[in-house]
Amino acid sequence: MAAEESLQVQPLPLMQRLTQEHTRVFFFSLGKLGRNPVGTLLTALVIGVALALPAGMHVLTQNLSKISYSWQDSLQLSLFLKDSVSSERGAALAREIRGRPGVQATRYISREQSLAEFRSQSGFGDALDVLQDNPLPAVIAVTPERGRNKLQVEVLLGELTRLPEVDLAKLDQKWLERLYAILGIIDRAVFIVGLLLGIAVVVTVGNTIRLDIEARREEISVMKLIGAPDSFIRRPFLYTGFWYGLAGSVFALILVLAGTLALSGPSQTLASLYDSSFTLSGLSFGSSLLLLLTGIVLGWIGAWITVWRHLADIQPQ
Amino acid sequence: MTDIIHFNQVGYRYPGGKDVLSDVTFSLGRGEMAFVTGSSGAGKTTLLRLVGLLCKPTRGQVMVDDVNLASLKNGDIAPFRQRIGMVFQNFNLLYDRTVFDNVALPLVIRGFAYSDVQRRVRAALDAVGLLNREKSSPLTLSGGEQQRVGIARAIVSKPALILADEPTGNLDPEMSKEVMKLFERFNQVGVSVLIATHALHLIVHMPHRIIHLDGGKITARRPRTPALSDLPPFPGEDSRGR
Repeated sequence: MAAEESLQVQPLPLMQRLTQEHTRVFFFSLGKLGRNPVGTLLTALVIGVALALPAGMHVLTQNLSKISYSWQDSLQLSLFLKDSVSSERGAALAREIRGRPGVQATRYISREQSLAEFRSQSGFGDALDVLQDNPLPAVIAVTPERGRNKLQVEVLLGELTRLPEVDLAKLDQKWLERLYAILGIIDRAVFIVGLLLGIAVVVTVGNTIRLDIEARREEISVMKLIGAPDSFIRRPFLYTGFWYGLAGSVFALILVLAGTLALSGPSQTLASLYDSSFTLSGLSFGSSLLLLLTGIVLGWIGAWITVWRHLADIQPQ
Repeated sequence: MTDIIHFNQVGYRYPGGKDVLSDVTFSLGRGEMAFVTGSSGAGKTTLLRLVGLLCKPTRGQVMVDDVNLASLKNGDIAPFRQRIGMVFQNFNLLYDRTVFDNVALPLVIRGFAYSDVQRRVRAALDAVGLLNREKSSPLTLSGGEQQRVGIARAIVSKPALILADEPTGNLDPEMSKEVMKLFERFNQVGVSVLIATHALHLIVHMPHRIIHLDGGKITARRPRTPALSDLPPFPGEDSRGR
């Protein structure tokens, strides 16, 4: 134990020391979990189910949005023109409106065309013969540009309503608005469920780490006795939280993927009944990455809160 | 000889309890080895705990290695403890790790390179005669061997001071002598050693200072290298030094 040797051998520089220490703890914590595979898998599975539920609901809303987006092609504004507007002016107005931003197409339907369509489609043809005048107005059917949201379409509707030739403007397919409203509710529900289950993940990881801390109370005490700083003692637990979060989110990804695959067949069958080529989509690459990151962060937070709360209680005796 | 430990009128009282130490003043020189003796409850362990910053004095001043321990903040405690080697009666080993890993722990905490860790751990194990057991679990070792692992862990980071609290408390007489010899060997290469023990029969023939505590006060001191026959019987010591 020569004194000169202690001068030659010094701890590593900070960055090198941190790299070595993090690498060590990275594998040490993984190995520790690996030595208790059943417990680890069960915990990860609980986290996975908790994460899969909001992720699955997110997939559902994404697919519903996709359906509503494809149905947007049939979204139309109907402009009922005043009786005083001539057919020529009506046709010219339709062309003018087509030139406006946010408008994809227009179709002018004269009073005569309206009557003819009504006569052929309504089944009241004979009754119409009793009327002396054509009661139906000329109509301009306006198709908004694809991708316009509800607010933008409503702004367009307001602008067109103010045109002097327009008697009444109406947005067709209120059902689409209702669908948007339902999607809004589901979106909010996903957020609330996600938040609650996120807390559940934090609590699950935290409780598992708490039990681990209790089981290693003596070891922690010994480490403090021989001069281990809190950061050194904390690190393996934080990595354990990281591994739980990662494993849980991988489980969640698998569950969502399995669910998507299980539902894709029936959903295609349903879509084909409506002459739709709709196919069910799973989580995108970005969403999958976000799910992994969320799991890791929640696991880490659960571990951090627990370690922060319980480590100070353990003092060497 | 400068002091590595200096107690100046130190007192310690349990919260709401009685005084465990009162007006304790003593020093341990650098490179010196000394024993703290006394019966159970005399304050030996508390004295060592104060040096290791496991508790703080309620009165007086404790200086260790030129550091006034009262001035240390919470964040400074761990680095301070890294400068001291501690040995315990109950060994305080980690039983889910190998002998090597136990001894390596202080170096891993301090962030030494693995190559240095390996070299120094083997040197420490060699010094306590356990090089051939580095891969064993401490559970497979005898009490004496476990204590030697504890000593190897205490010396591996080459501390200037070793504190040992009843290091022979759980060992048989032969093993106790061996352990004491180990401490003497480290002391001979310049390490300061302070040992709390009630095993007077083990230390009475050793040429080191003895500080005797009774009821939390120093009641007797024996200087270094005395002529044993000239000394009056030590409190609690019979004519055979037991």
